[in-house]
Amino acid sequence: MIFNSLTFLVFFAIVLAIHNTPIFSWHQKKINLLLASYLFYAAWNPPFVILLWVSTVVDWWAAQWMVRAKHERTRKVWMITSVVVNIGMLGCFKYGGFLLNNFIALASSVGIAYQPPEWNIILPVGISFYTFATLSYTLDVYLRRAKPAQHFLDYALFVTFFPHLVAGPIMRPTELVPQFASTRRATPHQLYFGLSLMILGLFQKVVLADGFLSPVVEKVYDAREGAPMALDAWAATLAFSGQIFCDFAGYSTTAIGVAMCLGFAMPDNFRFPYAAVGFSDFWRRWHITLSSWLRDYLYIPLGGNRRGPMRTYTALMGTMLLGGLWHGAAWTFVVWGGLHGTYLAVERWLRARFAGWTPGPLAFVGLGFLTYVLVNITWVFFRAKDFASASTMLTSMAGLAENPIPMIALLPMIYAMLIISAIVGTHWWMRDKTLEIAVERTPSWLVGGLLAIMAVAVLAEQGKGSAFIYFQF
Amino acid sequence: MPSSTSSSDPVAAPQGIVHREGALPAGLRLTASDRPGQAQPVPTRDVPAQPWGPILAGVLVALAVGAVGLELNARERIGLHPGDLDNSEISWSNEKLHAVGAPAAIVGDSRILFDTDLDRFEALTGVRPIQLSIHGTSALTLLENMADDKEFNGVLIVGLADTMFFQPFDGYGGYVKKWHEFRAPYRIVSNEIDHVLQRRLAFMDSNYRLSVIAHRLDPNFRSGVEGPKDDIWKLQEVGEHRATHLWDRVENDPAWRARTRWAWKGFKEDFPFTPGLIANGQARAKVAVEKIRARGGEVVFVRPPSAPELRVNEEAQVPKAKGWDVLLANTHSVGVHIDDLPAAQSLTLPEWSHLGRRCATVYTDIYVRRLTELTPRLKLRADAPSPLSKAYCASA
Repeated sequence: MIFNSLTFLVFFAIVLAIHNTPIFSWHQKKINLLLASYLFYAAWNPPFVILLWVSTVVDWWAAQWMVRAKHERTRKVWMITSVVVNIGMLGCFKYGGFLLNNFIALASSVGIAYQPPEWNIILPVGISFYTFATLSYTLDVYLRRAKPAQHFLDYALFVTFFPHLVAGPIMRPTELVPQFASTRRATPHQLYFGLSLMILGLFQKVVLADGFLSPVVEKVYDAREGAPMALDAWAATLAFSGQIFCDFAGYSTTAIGVAMCLGFAMPDNFRFPYAAVGFSDFWRRWHITLSSWLRDYLYIPLGGNRRGPMRTYTALMGTMLLGGLWHGAAWTFVVWGGLHGTYLAVERWLRARFAGWTPGPLAFVGLGFLTYVLVNITWVFFRAKDFASASTMLTSMAGLAENPIPMIALLPMIYAMLIISAIVGTHWWMRDKTLEIAVERTPSWLVGGLLAIMAVAVLAEQGKGSAFIYFQF
Repeated sequence: MPSSTSSSDPVAAPQGIVHREGALPAGLRLTASDRPGQAQPVPTRDVPAQPWGPILAGVLVALAVGAVGLELNARERIGLHPGDLDNSEISWSNEKLHAVGAPAAIVGDSRILFDTDLDRFEALTGVRPIQLSIHGTSALTLLENMADDKEFNGVLIVGLADTMFFQPFDGYGGYVKKWHEFRAPYRIVSNEIDHVLQRRLAFMDSNYRLSVIAHRLDPNFRSGVEGPKDDIWKLQEVGEHRATHLWDRVENDPAWRARTRWAWKGFKEDFPFTPGLIANGQARAKVAVEKIRARGGEVVFVRPPSAPELRVNEEAQVPKAKGWDVLLANTHSVGVHIDDLPAAQSLTLPEWSHLGRRCATVYTDIYVRRLTELTPRLKLRADAPSPLSKAYCASA
């Protein structure tokens, strides 16, 4: 189920009540949470729970046998078994159709008319997220960064724990499994702050992303014909930058709030990314749990920055291309990742070339602005359905479209630009703070007033919206 | 335990400003991005020192006041009513499931959807048809959907607007082709909870969400843009089992009526209904009808009324002789065209395209009686109510 649904509201109230009922032991409460998490996942498509079980059982035993193995080679075999099973399931469900279509195109290019049966497999929601979470378990054990979980229940709950299950933050076993060791129950203030985070997250998702930004984006990106005017193309792309942030950061904030209400801590997934200066800074602020996962389990094993510049650039580009593909089985996502890889590589080269240079305040802001603009260029490939529409958008954004047409009405455009300005402004104001510090330094009446406005706005938006964009990944 | 949310805090939290729970570093909190290539520790989550109890109490009060305000505004100023249920994809798919083995079902666009009074239909025939019509959708798409449904072998009433029937698009209801895919359990449950609330609260109307109202404030400020004013806004009220009728504000509020008429301007525009396009529609309809008949079902066609302001263009685009007449002949079907119903000629179409609520009852009465004469699959009950006339439209 999704957080912005009435079903979740009822589900969460029941889970919270049961979790705080004193009649259950901690062991029983963990079983309750596990069952609730399976129910949460089954609410999309019950048979896909089997995939979760497969992933859970395979990785549990792979780690167990890795620890018991007497030879390094045996350890490696179990690690590879885990990787093959997990990536195999991901590949089959997520990339099967993509691979098949590319094969058909390739065959066609050499004159072979290959017509296979239609690939009609539904993508299990959140499979990319829980595959990475559970993979980090076996990889951490293999790399001797962590010991395997002591109890199967704790491990199964780590994989399945519903706040992070379908769209992250992508948790590592060392972040969550220890929290299951002893009784967790939120204090009243943790509960209240957790609920406040849920209000903030739902406001971002339901009101800003779905209510005000998505219609502006769709008007241009989903237009059936015609090229938009430069103003419309930029407005839609900027609106998408806000939509994707509010959608995903809103989910993460809600997930953190949900976990906090139950007495658990989840890591930050965003740190005001639109105030990033440079792309390495951006990736330390955007989808932190994914970028750090890719760094730790892909970039560093590929050589990282330890084996010379060429190897570093290759590892960087390879990581970002695969990171792009992780987001979606389409070449547009690969280009999105490739652009970020290129940005990172160029930035790395420039930093080496101008190692002694420190930007002044104006240059600092200017570089931040440049970063934001270039990030927006990449969003075009992320949002466009295909290269033709991406090309149309970029041509329009460059002011080169022939016979462009206006597409966005004035008021929706103004709302979107006000929201984007507020988001970017807030990110710059908060760029060296945590949310908690900012809240603590804000007068109580203002905190309460803002929360009240956001809660009433969610109510007025009727608390509903479309599914989170990142679920499709 | 400063490194995560803690269960070791004092059970009884002090009133007002509380002591800091957990560590709150002066600078940034470290994240995984600051710890490359190592096991990540249990995360830090702090609770800022604020009087959270009173703050949340204030939020609850604001929510209560907001809900009351929204409800009063919805009922008194906008004219919404409790019991008006959102016409969601799930609601449609629920009815689709009910169509299994049903004696009758209706498919089509918004005209047959709004203009059919299911209660009247049942009173006349003893059969309550399953309402599967979808606004803005080609009846042909829905006819084909039912043709592919091997579980349906009743009588299918296909209501059509000629131009929409022969258009090359599915329209809004294109989702019916994959209707099984969106029946996730949580969506079904959410739909039920939605309906429980909507039976009691008028403001839970997706046409009046905050963002929709905000966008609708734009009276097409920017020239050349297909703006919010050009889109249809709220037009109907939906009851149980998708029993749908024209919203009374459309009937009674001249400004709203004018706005809706404005949005129908698309019906006045040319669309290239080439002979090939129409022939393609005829061929698809023939295949679909034959599929249904092959398993013992029956198909009848109904063409509800439209006002002369729209009809003139509809006739120009798809002439009755090339559309409707050929459709009946080609599929060997019976049908009830508005032109064949003298008693229905002067019924009121407030916004030109749909009948007012009470007139819809009259129209249902007239067309269903005619259907019972044309097909043995529908029979007029012996105790059927007396025929209605236009006078019923105006009666309170």
